[in-house]
Amino acid sequence: MATVTPRPMSQEEKKVIFASSLGTVFEWYDFYLYGSLAPIIAKQFFTGLDAGSAFIFALLAFAAGFIVRPFGALVFGRLGDMIGRKYTFLVTILIMGLSTFIVGILPNYTTIGVAAPVILIALRLLQGLALGGEYGGAATYVAEHAPQGKRGAYTSWIQTTATLGLFLSLMVILGTRTMIGEAAFADWGWRVPFIVSILLLAVSVYIRLSMNESPAFTKMKAEGKTSKAPLSESFGQWKNLKIVILALIGLTAGQAVVWYSGQFYALFFLTQSLKVDGATANIMIAVSLVIGTPFFVIFGALSDKIGRKPIIMAGCLLAVVTYFPVFTALTKAANPDLAAAQAANKVTVTADPKECSFQFNPTGTAKFTSSCDVAKQALANASVSYDNAVSAPGTPATIAVGSTMIPSYSVKGLSADDAKTKAAEFKKALDDALKAAGYPAKADMAKFDKVTVIAILTYLVILVTMVYGPIAAMLVELFPTRIRYTSMSLPYHIGNGWFGGLLPTTAFAIVAQTGNMYNGLWYPVIIAGMTFVIGMLFVKETKDVDIYAND
Amino acid sequence: MWKIAVAFVVFAGLALFILSKGGDIDMSGEKHGADATHSAPASEAASAPASSASK
Repeated sequence: MATVTPRPMSQEEKKVIFASSLGTVFEWYDFYLYGSLAPIIAKQFFTGLDAGSAFIFALLAFAAGFIVRPFGALVFGRLGDMIGRKYTFLVTILIMGLSTFIVGILPNYTTIGVAAPVILIALRLLQGLALGGEYGGAATYVAEHAPQGKRGAYTSWIQTTATLGLFLSLMVILGTRTMIGEAAFADWGWRVPFIVSILLLAVSVYIRLSMNESPAFTKMKAEGKTSKAPLSESFGQWKNLKIVILALIGLTAGQAVVWYSGQFYALFFLTQSLKVDGATANIMIAVSLVIGTPFFVIFGALSDKIGRKPIIMAGCLLAVVTYFPVFTALTKAANPDLAAAQAANKVTVTADPKECSFQFNPTGTAKFTSSCDVAKQALANASVSYDNAVSAPGTPATIAVGSTMIPSYSVKGLSADDAKTKAAEFKKALDDALKAAGYPAKADMAKFDKVTVIAILTYLVILVTMVYGPIAAMLVELFPTRIRYTSMSLPYHIGNGWFGGLLPTTAFAIVAQTGNMYNGLWYPVIIAGMTFVIGMLFVKETKDVDIYAND
Repeated sequence: MWKIAVAFVVFAGLALFILSKGGDIDMSGEKHGADATHSAPASEAASAPASSASK
């Protein structure tokens, strides 16, 4: 074990952290832009497409997030291990930044026709590729500059950029929208957040150009010891592949679901399940992020003292044990009328089980049209807990709210107009029955307990900081310098992209299938539980690892 | 360190102020699949939500 000599952070180290974090701020800024502006971008670029083309573009948009990023981790991880960290993550930020900027000046569908969505999707794919290499580069670069015993504290700063990126995007989008008005923003103002990102890019590139290569990589290169084939060394040899797999299922999978649950699912749950208005829910989440964000650094620094593993595993365990009671408490604090209605009124869906699908729809392109699926989706959207009963084969599904029976309908074979009429009739009948049974259409803000809601959300964010604060240091320390960039990037992106990214759609499918709005939590609970067990049994503590020992 | 803390508080305070004035905005992160390419709300008839956030 190397000896640790406590000393303050040097100017050079501060610059390293700042330069690396700017790139990840960029990532997050883009991440939120493409969320907040999605309806406008869709309208500008995709509205003229026929159904077949729209389907293909939807699949490509899905690929940009879920398939291209892990591929980018391989491409840029390999480059980073062969030619160096500095130039690789200079390239990734240039690709990311220029792609964002070009979206801001790209003519829309009305101007250049189908070329517009084609170029947009190509830019998204390119951006996804670069993004796959960005985080691994930032984490590796910072960790290789950090002194032994300080890697947790130094790399944890990178994680705080998630909050900074969100706030930056909010300020630019809302600032522009407020200044020029809603109509002008939808027409041309949406381009401003993309265009101003060029400033962030210029600063990032300028600083990154002035940085030195990581000392560990420079030494290795000088000695001619860099890997000639990082991919086969990382994934073709069981000794390392085993650690990559453990890093995925024993660390990043659990980290991802805890993170998604704490920020994105909590927001979804507040607005969609508890019917809290969007603006209030946003403020609640933002306040909890402000309170929780310093804990990234606190847990990162603490991991240098007590170890990464105990903190990450404690975060996963607390998620497993407390998610159900905590989300139940959130319902009581945010929408007590809903909690009371769920407890008092029994709702039953009677359907032929053969008609009922597991409504898992990650690309958003599937349509669930049977009477059972229509009924269950309506109830899941209304946050109604229900029991399932079996009807005779071939009979349409019905919903019983107390003594009121509402027949569901199948969309199959209906014309668009008939489907619309049927949907409106069904919705009205269901809404009336639910209203009579005490289900609120919206959360009553007079009964909304702000302090408790913020306390609960802050607790969820603190769990996020426990699993996410020390993760970069731990991933870096699991792998040797010659294949570090490649080996750590892939489990990070598969863990966060697949296990985390599929959380909303999986949780919804479970809720619709089972009839209990809390059952979506089984997904993060099971994944975090798996990570806890595998991590505890097979992942070794790394805080005292000398990351240069095998160089 | 105290400079960073002050900068964070000022930055976050400004963001919260703008958020409280600016109205509703989607903070659920990047959209993929049909959510990213359809301008109409995805809650038509019987379609379940696509995966909304991934990074």
